[in-house]
Amino acid sequence: MAPSPSLPTVNSQVEMASGPDASGRALPAGLPPSPAGTSRPGRRGLPNGRTAATGAGAVLLLAVLLAGTGYRYEPYAEQPVTVSVDIPSEARPLEQFTARLRSRQRALTARLDALAPKGVYIVIDQTQNRIYLKRGNDTLLQAVCSTGSGMVLRESGGKKREWVFDSPRGRFEVRTMLRDPVWRKPDWAFVEEGQPIPRNPADRLDYGTLGEYALYFGDGFMIHGTLYERLLGRAVSHGCVRVGRDDLRKVWASSRVGTQIYIY
Amino acid sequence: MTASRIRTFAVVVAGFAVIGLTAACQRGAASASAPASDPRSDAARMERTNAQLQKQIELAAGKEFYLVLDPKHAGLTLMLKGAPLQRFTVLGLQVGHPRAAWVSERDPRHVQSVIWSGGELDPPRQIDRLVIQASEPGKEASESTPPPIPLTPEELYPVPSRYHVRFADGLSVEILPREADASVGRWAHARAAMAEKARDVYSAIRASGRDTTRLRITLDPKEAQSFYRSLPPAVRLIVLDGEVEPPQPAAAVPEPAK
Repeated sequence: MAPSPSLPTVNSQVEMASGPDASGRALPAGLPPSPAGTSRPGRRGLPNGRTAATGAGAVLLLAVLLAGTGYRYEPYAEQPVTVSVDIPSEARPLEQFTARLRSRQRALTARLDALAPKGVYIVIDQTQNRIYLKRGNDTLLQAVCSTGSGMVLRESGGKKREWVFDSPRGRFEVRTMLRDPVWRKPDWAFVEEGQPIPRNPADRLDYGTLGEYALYFGDGFMIHGTLYERLLGRAVSHGCVRVGRDDLRKVWASSRVGTQIYIY
Repeated sequence: MTASRIRTFAVVVAGFAVIGLTAACQRGAASASAPASDPRSDAARMERTNAQLQKQIELAAGKEFYLVLDPKHAGLTLMLKGAPLQRFTVLGLQVGHPRAAWVSERDPRHVQSVIWSGGELDPPRQIDRLVIQASEPGKEASESTPPPIPLTPEELYPVPSRYHVRFADGLSVEILPREADASVGRWAHARAAMAEKARDVYSAIRASGRDTTRLRITLDPKEAQSFYRSLPPAVRLIVLDGEVEPPQPAAAVPEPAK
């Protein structure tokens, strides 16, 4: 059987047995000579050309597909209002229906308002170490503070206890307001300093470190003053919220027992 | 001649004036009495507002922090128990849907119809805790090195140029600072765009855990950083009625302070 001229490998075998073409190269038997000016070396390179074209096509296709893959963004549009079959179409029942909806809306708005804090409230951003005094959407004071460092303290001897110095997150309220507060040092304060834990409660009392005022909000946490005002704005406390003297005076003046504190 | 002509002319003018006034009054009355919208649509909208209020009450009664996206007032507010904690001004709002090979897939739920829960930052805010082993009581510490001064929040928490808050059930809020990457060079900008595209392609084609809907919120760069640093974990989200108005040209490009 004669080899197919379209098969390049076979062609190359046949070339040796045939006459030369215009470029001086052999032609396969039975094939017409190539027109003047057209060379044959392309026949050897043709498959490569095809491969290249196929490759380029594949790359192009992939690029087109990739261009259409991902996320398509469009301007946000609110949810369209759909009228359900429950809404009456006749004038009188529709009026009554709307009146009921209006009344419910008033009730719901009142319930939502009742959940919001009344009067001044304190907001503490513990990541950015900021304290705010707010009333509704108005900000009355914005100041730097210091919140929990997030440090972990491990006890070497004794009970091998561990403390994590985080400020708590959530809603709290001022339980006690103290003027010239005295700090009753907890165990960790002695462990941190490498001192033995005193047996006499009077040895735990520390005067002056908490500043002029302290607002106690439970579980050992307070908003209080500090001796280290240069560290305000950094998370350095053991969980309490330290505030500079002038700002603390404003916070104190605006607060009362029951004032809401929100820490996030 | 003149008197009768003048009288006739006056009558004609008066007639035209009366006709004109009547027409104007009728037009005014017609526009005043024209219904502003369909009463059934108004009722449907009121019904939806009530449903949203109900959801807001549910959120305010819960223990979790939540975000209220109010497109009408261009605000994104972090809240807890009904108290607004921090408000961010929304400069732009877009919605994105995944598509693979030009075929879009839309989540049939509208973002407004759901309370989205379990929102977490991606990439997460890393907290490296310093662990201190206390010395034995009564013993002198081997080295009396003072504790290091802690870093500022800005040093502690670098903020990526774009980030997401990913919620359970497939919603992702993408925070895009206005003029993101504008301060970086052209090549860095191109690299960031390529990386973003690669992430989008990966997210769009993967079988599970992808963003079925994205809300792209444009914030002022400082607010975008503040939002990243302050967002509490497991936050919830509700989207209220309304659409964001395009920002005023004067406000969009503020003059740099000199």
